[in-house]
Amino acid sequence: MTLRTSILAATTLATALAAGAPALAEDFTIGLATAQTGGLAFVDQPSLQGFQLAVEEINANGGLAGKHKIVLDIKDTRSDTAATVQAAQELVAAGVKVLITPCDADPSIAAGQISQPAQIPSFTFCGTTPTIPSAVGDYMFGTYPADNAQAALLADYAVEKGYKTAYVLKSPDTAYTLKLPEYFAEVFQKKGGTIAGEGTYALGQQDFSAEVTKIKGLDPQPDVVMTAAYEPDFPAFIKQLRSAGITSAVLGSDGVDSPTTLGLGSDVDGLVHTTAGFPSEGSGVAAFFEKWKAKTGAAPETIYIATGYEIPFIIDAAVTAAGGATDGPTLRDAIANLKDVPLVTGKVTYAGTNRMPSRDITLVEVRGGARTLVKTATPDPADVPAP
Amino acid sequence: MGRLSAEFWVGTEARSSALLLALIVGLGTLILHYVFGVWGDRIATLLLMSLMGVLALSVFTGNSGIVSFGHTAFMGIGAYVSGILTMPAAVQKGALPSLPDFLAGHELGLAPALAFVLLAGLVAGLVTGLPIARLSGSGASIATLALLIIIHVILVGAREITRGSQTFYGVPNLTTVWVALPLALAFIVVARLFKDMPAGLRLRAARENEVAAAASGVNIFTARYVGWVLSAALAAVAGAIYGHFLSAFSPKDFYFDLMFTMIAMLIVGGMLTVTGAIVGTALITAVIQILRQVESGFDLGFVHIPIIFGLTLVGLGLALLLAIWRRPLGVAGLYELAWPASAGPTAELAAAPPAPPAQGAALEIAGLTKRFGGLVAAEDVSFRVAPGEIVGLIGPNGAGKTTIVNMICGQLQPDAGDAVLDGASLAGQGPSAIARLGLGRTFQAIRLFDRLTVTENIMVAALSVEESPGSARQAVARLLTRLELRSVADQRAGTLAYGPRRRLEIARALALRPRYLLLDEPAAGMNPAETDALVATLSRIRDDFGVGLLVIEHDMRLIMRLCDRIVVVNKGQKIAEGTPEAVRGDEKVIEAYIGRRRERAAA
Repeated sequence: MTLRTSILAATTLATALAAGAPALAEDFTIGLATAQTGGLAFVDQPSLQGFQLAVEEINANGGLAGKHKIVLDIKDTRSDTAATVQAAQELVAAGVKVLITPCDADPSIAAGQISQPAQIPSFTFCGTTPTIPSAVGDYMFGTYPADNAQAALLADYAVEKGYKTAYVLKSPDTAYTLKLPEYFAEVFQKKGGTIAGEGTYALGQQDFSAEVTKIKGLDPQPDVVMTAAYEPDFPAFIKQLRSAGITSAVLGSDGVDSPTTLGLGSDVDGLVHTTAGFPSEGSGVAAFFEKWKAKTGAAPETIYIATGYEIPFIIDAAVTAAGGATDGPTLRDAIANLKDVPLVTGKVTYAGTNRMPSRDITLVEVRGGARTLVKTATPDPADVPAP
Repeated sequence: MGRLSAEFWVGTEARSSALLLALIVGLGTLILHYVFGVWGDRIATLLLMSLMGVLALSVFTGNSGIVSFGHTAFMGIGAYVSGILTMPAAVQKGALPSLPDFLAGHELGLAPALAFVLLAGLVAGLVTGLPIARLSGSGASIATLALLIIIHVILVGAREITRGSQTFYGVPNLTTVWVALPLALAFIVVARLFKDMPAGLRLRAARENEVAAAASGVNIFTARYVGWVLSAALAAVAGAIYGHFLSAFSPKDFYFDLMFTMIAMLIVGGMLTVTGAIVGTALITAVIQILRQVESGFDLGFVHIPIIFGLTLVGLGLALLLAIWRRPLGVAGLYELAWPASAGPTAELAAAPPAPPAQGAALEIAGLTKRFGGLVAAEDVSFRVAPGEIVGLIGPNGAGKTTIVNMICGQLQPDAGDAVLDGASLAGQGPSAIARLGLGRTFQAIRLFDRLTVTENIMVAALSVEESPGSARQAVARLLTRLELRSVADQRAGTLAYGPRRRLEIARALALRPRYLLLDEPAAGMNPAETDALVATLSRIRDDFGVGLLVIEHDMRLIMRLCDRIVVVNKGQKIAEGTPEAVRGDEKVIEAYIGRRRERAAA
């Protein structure tokens, strides 16, 4: 082989590798730059599993709006923001119609900076930070219940239960553990509640005695303690809180929606927290879980499989609403105008939102090592604090 | 000014090596661009960005031998500073509503923003270097780890400026291959030249042997501080370029994950050379880029490769393991790419006149005392060494000889007493200051800068006292000839045989143009023939350089033949002093030293 032909061959191979298999004219390529390895894999992996099942089903029915077969171009970002940017650059260059980004704000916004100027509608798998769409622009959409929406629902619930005073525990280490309690405090106060105090902790901190002492010292004791802490911080905190004899109600966010929480015994009895969906009797989530079990032989381990499964159906609804058109601007407008799309975990609406959807969120209560449904509701957009 | 410009002097070899390395990276980038197009540009951008970070890290870590875990913190500072200064005002109002006024609305271009980034990096380096440059080895590494955590906490805490742990967005996407390339090339040149500049040479000497570096007149703190500050400033610029590539980031993007990637690149390539930094970055980038194509699955027509995610990380881990196992010093090891050395004419030098010894002055040891708890290691020891005189310091094991030597050289502070060098008190002076004042020394167990060449070993000391790089080079050339080291001048000190090692250590001490030379057991481990040769060499040194020698030795034959006068210590006290003949007949000496030997021999 001469030098010239070998360079040519290498170029061809590289281009083929970079672009993936060429898509047919009718095909609709969705690029996924998500974290299948690394620190975000625990959410991005199940999201992708659900996503792939939905694509299988849609393709079996003839594709998006019955005519566009979906082709997936999947790249692993290793939970690294720079790798996400590179993957997004490649996928955008390859001409994907929709881009899916990881369950985290940094890589989602960074990837959105690439897809936005190319007019490619993009979704974060399950990023909950409400600023993701506004930080990027009009082609970026969220799908999962946002932090501020979760907080609004929790505040609604606290007011409904007649709680007057609340203590919030937050950590500045992540946007989630910091902003969610802050949003809660904002809504709770707006609705007449009083913040009796607030404490901070560091992620991974095992000793909560200072915070617990602070709560114990409050007179009267707060009606409710609200936090967005998750493991290993939440188990440590609640054990120390209860062993100090504090009986205030505790509200948590979807970060504690894990099996670990159920293993904490009587300390977590009465804990109410948000989740994207719950397989209560006769619910859409229960039906989906059954389907998943029938398909894979194992029950889904997390709700992220269900929320990942929903995204292709959101795209399908948009393409259908656009009459089968798939160009970026038309598709973007179609997504932004979606209203009450029925999905597994409830209904999703983009119309009238800042592209972080208004959607059903579920509240569950933990008791005796099991969860029970409290309610599923969409927080009133007027109550949801500005990000 | 002359002194300052001397600090920036580098040899032609370093300059040509820097150019060669820059040329190769430049060519590599152009090949990626012209052969692979946009896809190649993306890879090149990633490669050049990583290279900038790794080179910044290597300026300190490579030359000092202290692995820094803190450099991504400087990258973070650079990214935020540049992000704030370049951000469109409209975006900034939304993203950073409480930004202090003096930071708001600048909308600078990349070049002026980078100037401020450089400044911020310098300031951060100057402040953080104060504690870190005082530490050595793993203590210093742990301190850099603490630094990383502290700066991370500050970035998370400064919510008005950084949005805290929330994504910092709105940073213009300015990093292209054509922005990264000239900067990366500049980094290569800076890193390569710094390595051979006096400051870099001193830092490397301190890496090889801290005690010997100090004894060669190197101020260890200053050497590390300079390297740290330069390294921090470069890291800040690298971070700014990285930030303009990401366009959205938070403090966690500049935390452990990035740090480990950069350290992995440096270790795989070899942290001792700039070539290693480049090779490691290129290699790791290649491994990542190839494996991520493979793991995404592809169709070769006849066989379909399925998606196997995780391959990239596994490959990365394997590359690191393999490198550490097979090449502990990295792929490049000690090798630094350079043009084939042109055998230039060896500068033949007229014998320069040795520094004239000051008349009537002497190295005066006056009442030195040192106690370790209840043990008196030295008590009121006094004697003097005149210029041109050879004085022996002897005594049985544990008599306190080494303690006395260490007090004279500044490694131990005496509890009482002083050493006075030609009228200048050495009390409270550190080893490097004492070395520069004119007291050279060698060590009982030879301490060389093993991974530096013979020439560089001597150059470290010469640069401590010589007026100009030119005169330093002449001094080195002269000593190479005098100590019969010319044939091994370009070899690494660690590869020398025992005899040349001893001679090199003496040559290095003589490069300080000392008026007094302290030799700690110079004949240890030598056979009689070698010892004879050493006696001849030392006598010649005294004659040629006019230095006073203080020789600590066990070898009685050597001491008796070589010395003009002998000082005998036992149990921390001077028990005799005089000519070899007088000491040989001294009752106390026979009892304390020679007598015991006889008893032992009899037993």
